[in-house]
Amino acid sequence: MTQSHRIDGGQIDRSRSLKFEWNGKKMAGHPGDTLASALIANGVQLVGRSFKYHRPRGIFSAGSEEPNALVQLRKGAAQEPNTRATTVELFEGLAATSQNHRGSLEWDLMAANDLLARFLSAGFYYKTFMWPKAFWEKLYEPVIRASAGLGNLSGQADPDSYDHGYLHCDLLIIGAGPAGLAAALAAGRSGARVILADEDFVMGGRLNAETHEVDGQPGADWAAAAIAELSAMDNVRLMTRTTVYGSYDHGIYGALERVTDHLADAAGKPRQVLWRLYTQRALLTAGATERSIGFGNNDRPGIMLAGAVRAYVNRFGAAPGRRVAVFTNNEDGLRTAEDLKAKGIEVAAVVDARKGEYVLNTVGRRGLKSITLSTGPTIPIDCLAVSGGWSPNVHLTCHHRGRPVWRDDIAGFVPGEGLPPGMTVAGAANGAMTLAAALNKAHEAGASLASALGAKGNAGDAPTGSDENFDATPFWYVADSKPRAWVDLQNDVTSKDVKQSHQEGFRAVEHLKRYTTLGMATDQGKTSNILGLAIMAEASGKTIPETGTTIFRPPYNPVAVGAFAGRARGKEFRPTRLTPSHHWAKENGADFVETGMWLRAQWFKRSGEKGWRDSVDREAAAVRKSVGICDVTTLGKIDIQGRDAAEFLNRIYSNPFLKLPVGKVRYGLMLREDGVAYDDGTTARLTETHFVMTTTTANAVTVFRNMEFARQCLWPDLDVHLISTTDGWAQFAVAGPNSRALLQKVVDDLDLSNDAFPFMACTECTVFGGTPARLFRISFSGELAYEVAVPARYGDAMMRGLMAAGEEFDAVPYGTEALGVLRIEKGHAAGNELNGQTSAQNLGLGGMVSQKKDAIGTKLSTRPEMNRDDDLRLVGFRPKDKSILLTAGAHFLNPGDPEDMAHDQGWMTSVAYSPELGHSVGLGYLKQGSERMGETVRAYSPVRNQDILVEVCSVHHIDPEGVRQRG
Amino acid sequence: MADLDFTLTATPLLGGAKHQIGENQIVERDDLALVSVAIPLGGDAAVAKALKSGWGLTVPEPTVSSVAQDIRAIRTGPDQLILVFPHTTPDARAFVQAKIGEAGYTTDQTDVWVVLEISGSDTLAALERLCPLDVARFAKGGSARTVMEHMGAMIVHLSGDRFLLLSASSSAQSFLHAVELSYRYVTG
Repeated sequence: MTQSHRIDGGQIDRSRSLKFEWNGKKMAGHPGDTLASALIANGVQLVGRSFKYHRPRGIFSAGSEEPNALVQLRKGAAQEPNTRATTVELFEGLAATSQNHRGSLEWDLMAANDLLARFLSAGFYYKTFMWPKAFWEKLYEPVIRASAGLGNLSGQADPDSYDHGYLHCDLLIIGAGPAGLAAALAAGRSGARVILADEDFVMGGRLNAETHEVDGQPGADWAAAAIAELSAMDNVRLMTRTTVYGSYDHGIYGALERVTDHLADAAGKPRQVLWRLYTQRALLTAGATERSIGFGNNDRPGIMLAGAVRAYVNRFGAAPGRRVAVFTNNEDGLRTAEDLKAKGIEVAAVVDARKGEYVLNTVGRRGLKSITLSTGPTIPIDCLAVSGGWSPNVHLTCHHRGRPVWRDDIAGFVPGEGLPPGMTVAGAANGAMTLAAALNKAHEAGASLASALGAKGNAGDAPTGSDENFDATPFWYVADSKPRAWVDLQNDVTSKDVKQSHQEGFRAVEHLKRYTTLGMATDQGKTSNILGLAIMAEASGKTIPETGTTIFRPPYNPVAVGAFAGRARGKEFRPTRLTPSHHWAKENGADFVETGMWLRAQWFKRSGEKGWRDSVDREAAAVRKSVGICDVTTLGKIDIQGRDAAEFLNRIYSNPFLKLPVGKVRYGLMLREDGVAYDDGTTARLTETHFVMTTTTANAVTVFRNMEFARQCLWPDLDVHLISTTDGWAQFAVAGPNSRALLQKVVDDLDLSNDAFPFMACTECTVFGGTPARLFRISFSGELAYEVAVPARYGDAMMRGLMAAGEEFDAVPYGTEALGVLRIEKGHAAGNELNGQTSAQNLGLGGMVSQKKDAIGTKLSTRPEMNRDDDLRLVGFRPKDKSILLTAGAHFLNPGDPEDMAHDQGWMTSVAYSPELGHSVGLGYLKQGSERMGETVRAYSPVRNQDILVEVCSVHHIDPEGVRQRG
Repeated sequence: MADLDFTLTATPLLGGAKHQIGENQIVERDDLALVSVAIPLGGDAAVAKALKSGWGLTVPEPTVSSVAQDIRAIRTGPDQLILVFPHTTPDARAFVQAKIGEAGYTTDQTDVWVVLEISGSDTLAALERLCPLDVARFAKGGSARTVMEHMGAMIVHLSGDRFLLLSASSSAQSFLHAVELSYRYVTG
């Protein structure tokens, strides 16, 4: 296909040709084209189907406000729906297809909707699909879902990468049209640190689309010179293809940079970068957006905004039509006729609403063929340029709930009170609608902001531009038009829909939006909002300011979810923490489980083992029989030092810590302020002023944070200091009857006999001939056990050393599953039991809440409701039929009681198969549990279809007297 | 004395990584030791004096580290600083405590952190993708605690385009990956 509508001029590089595909047809354009301008140059008018009625639609604008020309870009997994052809930069090999049609674009079967239009008016969902009720799920919803939406997702994972970034500046200038460039020159010359961002791939804004002059030269040339000057400044950063989409707190702005979207091959670089811009001040120079006029069949392909027609002709060298008419209510629209004539394009008519002339109707299904005027004649044309005036782009001024205010003289909303702190607005965005005014005001704003920020350089003179006539007379729609007149092209909202919304009582602007969908979807009503408001105002007999406006929220333009996610996808969703013995574990058949961000070995598979239970049973049994080694580095470790460290701990733990001797470890229970138990662990006293606390893996950060708060805010008078050492020490549990014998081979010159190093002893020592270590005699398994820690860099070697030393004892490594089995057998509470609802009483640890001192949570733990005798108590369970495996989550019922919550007696928190006992064992909360030893209750689990009898027993399934761990 | 003929060998977190990406380098600094010094309540003057007499170091400001000879002090909290210095044996804490005596409470932090030294002409661009702080405006020696790719981190400006980045040792591989990717995304 030849570029039949390519004309002279424009900012395209004609020396190079770019091949692209549109609906499978091969076409060509030039660097500097958008997909839209290339399609226009190739004579394509019909580019899509409308949302509801599937009406044929063409390109309407030349920017991000485009409501019609939404296409699917690229192929396969990279396919992206709802891409605006007007913002897509042409590249070699680009492939795009039209969307929202069944059958071909030319013959869309869904176009039948247009014939049913009278049944599909605003609110038809709410009225039509009310009954019969049963039809909703079975019929209506599937049908609606099948026909809803615009483009299609590929259904595959997005193959592109996205990134985040952070930038800092004194002054962020949003929009690099004439105002933005003038402001950037002033601020940049003054020496301020400036970021100038624009969503287009060429800066200059309307200067590239118009024939205005600045400083005596063509506007586009002046813009190019300004960009060159700014590029040479070290203190100015120019960001093209970058949309500032939101204003957030503290001068932070969100911006999306399309880094490689315009390239056929991203070469491994991210497609888009989501920037967080930290600014001292921001200057919004976002310009204005042209709006349409409502008249009969005003949505046909070939009907475009007048400013867009000028952009295609002047900037892109592409003629939207051969014979063009102009319908305008303002002086600016008339420029179109002049520009077209200058390019040799026939102008068939200029219809000026100010003179009482209107377009009543149009003809041409897949492309405009003619218009009928109110004065009678029907004029054959193939393009109609419409201008209903310009609306300042106030969107970002509303992001902190600022409300725009109406200005009659420009017939538009301008920024009102409540701008985001630090934001200034200049140029057309602030209602300075002529080029001269915009340049002047923006220069002034750029210079004064830079000066206020301490920049001392010379801002230079304001550029001078032609002060054209801006004479806007409000004219919204042609009342005499009989056919439907579209207000919102993207959502197929007509002027009748707006009036109907009023008739049916949806008169508030926000109701109008929800009822008719006016202003929703990708364009957010950039070309339609004011028109809709004006019609509503007229219907309700109010003025536009009385009617109000909807408020704008971020994002200004659509942002891909992938950009928000950045790198945080798949395995990189969050960081991974590895234990010091990770590599050793990997070499030795470990299967890993995620616990928070940690990867922990959950068992070590040996040859011949068929399932996880084989491995876990073997590991647990080996610990009880001889000795096992488990990496417990993940437990939180907090170094606590200071003259008042003991007093501090005494206030943190519910049980006493003041008199813990040096060289001893104590088990401690922590309560929340509300008295609920939230963490437990051990704390060792290494010297008078030095303690080392261990927390549960899950609560390591929470405990540290709470203690830091207590230290800094509750008791700043205490001399106590905290620092995390979780990652610093590789810590291993060495558990089992042979643990002492094993460790005696490892530690240097230390008597580990029960007398010399009894249960709950601790010391600093060295291992393997001089490596510093810490040794604690503590037991989670209930066996004779120790935990030994070395600096993390020796963790891998230590694991290997411990295994070598344990060889003669058949030492085994054990994972978190065996760890769980051992602690359930022993009756130690863990996360399942400390679920954020349980008191010390519930846990059977009521005696650990000392009433002789005050600690966090002590007071509120004494509330009667938390100390009821008939309340839940943690007890043990074993199945009456020993061959049955218990299930966690089962609820307890008394035999014979109905299965309902009124008769609920508690629930099973943890279960495990005990290789030591040869049957399943459980822990759980049971009402008055501690007084019901030996009773039989039902463990009822409807989700697992289990209803069995269990016997209530001590939580200590093994060694209830604790002989082994003290041995 | 342990009765095994076995001594423990330190394993660098990242195997002593040295990565070249374009003109830029990422180097694991496993030769550096880190020891935190907590300033006892009311003991600011004593710590200042001890740092001065020990190494000629001044107490660092919250945003700028102080350096004397080959030891650097980074302020990490209202009453806390971390000393960074070349030292490869696991007795860094004792070394510091011996110098400052009773003036401050020390904790060995060497194994808590992974330390990367990054340098090269794309470093500032890479940091824009990684670090929320305005590192381009850091003074020489500038330091701060921050977050990079969801990981707690510290950054210290060494000179020109050279920085030290510190993050938790357990997630060292994720951290290195984040740093590498940042360079790869901005390097030509």
